[in-house]
Formats: sequence, structure tokens, C-alpha cells
Amino acid sequence: MSELKAGSDIKVGDKLLGWAVSEDVRSRGASGGLVTAVLAAALETGFVERVLVLKRVSEFEAYPVFTSDVKEVLESAGSMHSVPVNLARYLKPETCSGKIALPAKPCDTRAVVERAKRNVLSPENTYVIGLNCGGTMHPETVRKMLEAVYRLGPEEIEGEEILKGKLVFFTKDGKEHAVPIDDLEAEGLGRRDSCRYCQVKVPKNADLACGNWGVPGDLAGKGTFVEVMTEKGAELLRNAVHAGFAELISADEKGISAREKVNKVMLGMSEKRKAEVFAPIENGGERFEYFRKELENCIHCGACKAVCPVCTCGEDSKCTAYSSLADSYRMSLFHMVRFLHLSDSCIGCGQCEDVCPAEILLTRLYQRFAVPIQKEYRYIPGMSDRTPPFFALKPEDNEDKEGSGCSCR
Amino acid sequence: MKPEKNEIPEAWEPKIVMFCCNWCSYAGADGAGIGRFQQPASMRIIRVMCSSRVDPVHVFSAFLEGADAVLITGCHLGDCHYINGNEKTLVKFNFMRSMLKELGLEEERLQLNWISASEGEKFSEVVRAVTEQVRQLGPSILKPEGVA
Ligand code: SF4
Ligand code: SF4
Ligand code: SF4
Repeated sequence: MSELKAGSDIKVGDKLLGWAVSEDVRSRGASGGLVTAVLAAALETGFVERVLVLKRVSEFEAYPVFTSDVKEVLESAGSMHSVPVNLARYLKPETCSGKIALPAKPCDTRAVVERAKRNVLSPENTYVIGLNCGGTMHPETVRKMLEAVYRLGPEEIEGEEILKGKLVFFTKDGKEHAVPIDDLEAEGLGRRDSCRYCQVKVPKNADLACGNWGVPGDLAGKGTFVEVMTEKGAELLRNAVHAGFAELISADEKGISAREKVNKVMLGMSEKRKAEVFAPIENGGERFEYFRKELENCIHCGACKAVCPVCTCGEDSKCTAYSSLADSYRMSLFHMVRFLHLSDSCIGCGQCEDVCPAEILLTRLYQRFAVPIQKEYRYIPGMSDRTPPFFALKPEDNEDKEGSGCSCR
Repeated sequence: MKPEKNEIPEAWEPKIVMFCCNWCSYAGADGAGIGRFQQPASMRIIRVMCSSRVDPVHVFSAFLEGADAVLITGCHLGDCHYINGNEKTLVKFNFMRSMLKELGLEEERLQLNWISASEGEKFSEVVRAVTEQVRQLGPSILKPEGVA
């Protein structure tokens, strides 16, 4: 094994393998507990004031907390594929004073970037530890799967992990139960719909991009691969090493290419799924009928708007203020405004359809608008600090755009 | 399922909501009237101080309440009374048009044109041309039932 990296040697662009120093953290956290160790070190040394993590209730239930308590951070360790919250939603002016750090899957990270553009958080003070993500699951689907496929009760479960394309449940009697995700998805179970066509699996837009892809066999389950994406990320790691919370070594070529390979396979699968789900509906009348039918059961509860991490309007929002059910003959103004506002910015995180009580596959609807518009403007929300094209003051600001634009010039 | 093609009744006249900016196109409308240029009575004109005052909410509301098309007009680029309001209009217009197209509306149902205060004749030409285009398309799919 190569030598331990000294904290001061860590710089942007480094690709490393790391783990927590503490035995306890290693056993609790996924893949050697590096992320937990980095967060704990940041709090312990006062590098950040607070950390935003999920507080675990059970394997299927957790809620976000801001905490300055290292113990709470340690307890949050481990992956939670069945609690698909988007933590970015909780970063707002009321909660974002001082420096904070949070673990974030790619869609959380994209939401942080978009929220920073809308001035609800300060990017300098927000440290984002990105986590690779192959997909998450709706807790209700997980219960269904446990009952129908695994034949297990939720109370028997001790933990879960996604390993080599299989969803594995660990039960309290020490056994492992693995089923290929493809088989689950063939039956309409498995990952959330939006995860199946998600286009970002490695959070290269975060400060650190961490995950277990590219960890060599002898370290499997005991180490985390981490790529240092920004200077802020390097600071976080240096701090963890100096404080004696984490140990790091350089990753080897084999690991680096293995990680790229997993990423490519995952992205390829998403791309295929995306083409299937978003097959064009050529006839305009049929398209309208599709949207109208999908929205037929909407009860206008507003949950989809309240949960959306790129919507930062709060209570006073245009989509709700002017919409009246009395005028919603064929479609409501609420949905039309949301379709427009999210056409350049929807990151496809799937939060809206997770919470919709009418079980409308909403992310598909938003993405129907987002896919062509984001392609036209060559804009990928949450992946750079470029101003969203809808906020441009002049058409020239969007000149990086395909197509002819307005016909009247 | 393919929705039936809307029957276009013989005497059907489209209803078009037209936004005119105070400084150019509304004056253009006056010019058209003074010059006695003929034009169909299809427009419902709403005067706004600047074309960029037209919010997507206004456009969508017009459609939801029965407009067959929406026509936004303003000063020529470079002539905006508020320096560059019409450039912002253009950005928003492109977005609204893509979005409405994706929703299933024909592109011609949302239009943008620049008409200056001296272009009375152009004003009536634009009104005639847009009305004719919309007449060919028939009533909009967003039109509530029972609204003529
Ligand atoms: S969450 Fe569902 S039911 Fe509620 S407003 Fe949104 S689409 Fe309608
Ligand atoms: S519209 Fe839905 S999928 Fe898109 S960003 Fe908002 S919550 Fe996420
Ligand atoms: S859809 Fe638009 S108006 Fe509504 S909350 Fe989101 S950004 Fe605000």
C-alpha cells in the first residue's frame, strides 16, 4: 500500500483513497467512514459551525437536522438509499448563517448550486461533500419490495447497500439478501423513476466527490474514493487529516479507470432509459392531451412546489398567487407557470413526484419541458455557475444557444 | 388517442389578445386608425408601459380564459423607451414560445412584433396577417369549453 498522504500535500485535482481513523466510525459508516470523519473533524476543529445531516429514525425514516454535536454526526453515518430527501431545500437564509457542511448526492449538489444563484445561500460558506449515487428508492416502494420479493418484514432489517447492481438487505440475524436491481425494476419496483434516467452519477460539481467506485478489492468496504474538486474541498480534507480523523493515500490508475468505467456504465443506462421515457409525442394535440390527462387528478395542494429545491420563492410565489381554480378549465395557471419556470432549471431530482399525493409522475412532466430547452440553451442546471438562461437580460447573453431564436429579427 | 380536429365554424373570428407598449406600438395603433387602414376586429388590445411588462402570467391567463392567440408588440430593438426592456421581452418570449410549443400549442399562437409609433400601416398589416394565420388554425386547445 502506498504511503499516507500528509495533509499539506492535498490539492485540487487529487484522486485519493481514504478512511476514518476511529474504529467506531469505520464500522458504522459506509466504505470506511471517510465522509463521516471529514464532517466530524470539521465540527470538532470549528472549521464549520454546523453540519446538515439526516437523523436516522429507522432504515426507512430519517429527518434533516442542523447540528453542532459531533455525536449526532457520527450517528448519521451510513448510506440511506430509502430516504430520498434533498438536503439543499433546507439551506435558506434563516438557516444559513455561518459556515456549514453537508453530505450531498449529485441532485442535492446541483440544487445547492442553483440555490446559490438565487441568493438563498452563500456558496463560500457552504461546504458540499458530494456522494456518488446510482439511485435512491421511495420508502413505500422499499416496503413493497421487502414484502413481495424479499419476503422480509421491515423490522427485521438492519441495513442496506447497493453492491454490483444488486440491492442487498442485511437482516438482524446476520444474513444477506440480494436481488439484482434490473429484476426489481422489471416489476416496477427498485429505484425511483427519476433516478433511472438521472444524468449525473458522480458529483463533480461538489467540493469533494466521494464514493466506493474505484476502491480496489482489498479495501472494498473499508475505503472511500475521493476526488478533490475545489480548494474548499482540499481545505476540508486537510483539516480532517490534521485533526487526526482521517487517513488518505493516493488512488492508483486502476482504481481511477475502474471508477470512470462504473460511471460510464451507469450513465449509459440512464441515457437509454431517458430515450425510452421521453420518446417524443409528435402531434401537438396529443401532447396537450397527455399533460392534461396526467394532471387530471391534481388537487392543487402545492406540495410539489413546496418541496422543489430550485424554487426559492417561498410563500409569495407567482405560480400560486395568480392561479385560481375557477379559471383552471383545461389546465391550471399554477402548472403552466411551473412548467415555464422550471424549463431551464429543473434538475430532475424527483422530489415533486415523491411527495405528490395524487401520485402524478410529475418529474416526467417537468423534464418534458426541460429536456428540449436545456438542450437548446446548452445549459445544464446545477453544474456550473452560469446564469440561468431565463434570467438573461439580453438575447446575446444566451448566445451559446442552438437554433435561430426569434423569427422577427 | 388523437383528439378530434377542431371544427372551424364558417363565421368564426379568432379572439386575439394584443399587448401594445405605450410609446411605440400603441401609438402605431392610433396611426393605423388615423390613416384608416382596414383591419379585422379580432384584437383585444391591452396597453402596457413597456412590452417587458408583459409577464408570462398575463400570456397564460389570456389563453386559459379563451384567447386563441396572443400578440405582443413593442418598440424596435434599440428604440425602447426604457433602454432595453424589449430585449428582456425577447428573452422571455423565446422561452414562452418553446414552452407552449412543448405543451402542444402551435407556434403561431404566440407572436412578437416590433411596431414603431410611425408604422400605422405596418400595424394593420400585422393584425391582418396574424388574424389570418390564427383563422387557419382554428380555436386553441386551451380554450375553455363554452367560450365562443
Ligand atoms: S403535489 Fe401533486 S396534487 Fe399536489 S399540487 Fe402538485 S401535482 Fe397537484
Ligand atoms: S420540478 Fe421536481 S424534479 Fe424538477 S427540480 Fe423541482 S422537485 Fe426536482
Ligand atoms: S414555480 Fe416559479 S413562481 Fe412557483 S415557486 Fe417555483 S420559481 Fe417560484
